[in-house]
Amino acid sequence: MELHYGWNELKDMDFMSILPIILPVIAIGMILVLIALIDLYRNRKSRKNVLLWTLIIIFANTIGPILYFVIGRKDSERI
Amino acid sequence: MNNFAVLAKKEFVQMVREFKVIWLPLVFIFLGITQPVVSYYLPSILEALGGGQGITIDPSMAAQKGGEVLASTLGSQFDQLGVMIIIVSMMGVVQSDKANGMLAFILTRPVTVGSYISGKIISNYLFVACSVALGYLVSYLYVVFLFTSVDFGDLLVALLFYLLWILFIISFTTMISTIFNSQGIIALISIVFLLGCRIIVGLSPVIDNVNPASMSKHAMEVLILGTVHSQAIWGALAALAWTAVTILVTNIWISKKKFNNE
Repeated sequence: MELHYGWNELKDMDFMSILPIILPVIAIGMILVLIALIDLYRNRKSRKNVLLWTLIIIFANTIGPILYFVIGRKDSERI
Repeated sequence: MNNFAVLAKKEFVQMVREFKVIWLPLVFIFLGITQPVVSYYLPSILEALGGGQGITIDPSMAAQKGGEVLASTLGSQFDQLGVMIIIVSMMGVVQSDKANGMLAFILTRPVTVGSYISGKIISNYLFVACSVALGYLVSYLYVVFLFTSVDFGDLLVALLFYLLWILFIISFTTMISTIFNSQGIIALISIVFLLGCRIIVGLSPVIDNVNPASMSKHAMEVLILGTVHSQAIWGALAALAWTAVTILVTNIWISKKKFNNE
């Protein structure tokens, strides 16, 4: 019995037929990440924890940019 | 221009400035796409990664109908992550005005409390309703493309029911945002209460009649069965009544100046 599954099994999937359907999902996630990163970069002088927010935006998928827009931007306004 | 229009316009300007006008519709479109795509590809994902030995889905299982998938978009995506995101984006709606003294300033002007609250709630509700509807329509397009088509009349009725539940969410969050001063507490109380409402739906028909969250269940029923539940009108009235109660409490709270503007 084979217990280990590697990347070569992924090639069995028919990626080209999936791509047009998956693409919008990835695109919307990317747009959110991009908007958040651009806003963070523009205001990098006035924000706290710029590095931490960058990591959150990139790695916490879809939740990260939302958290940044809601919490990360408000913190700076108070200062 | 009267006071209401000015205050509503101020809300829209603030939304544009906070980029809310971009990211909230995007998030709902994302949530709307996820459910049909995942439920369509779940068998093939499991087959490709499970290698035929692990978990498999019984191929004799009946294919999902379009209405069921659309109902599960409402029930499992919008009702959990969607509600949380609405609450988190709305938690500062009155609280930030209190915190920076804007509310006290506005009330020194000849502005009635009613027009302040209605400006807040109506402008935010219109915007959230538009983004929910947008996400729902994108989900509908995906469902028609990947599964079977859904009757357009049912679609609109279900959306209408669901928007009543959204109205209650918004007015409740505004009320909590008026009463409490800390954003964390506002988000916690709103999320716990509203998700609690959603969880107890279906326990007993008596509770359902006075529970605004039952509107979400009625919307799902319309999508799955194609018929409107006979009790749905009472649920709708209850949701509207609770919305009126929350707006009234907000109004009393502000006009008695119980907020402390530090």
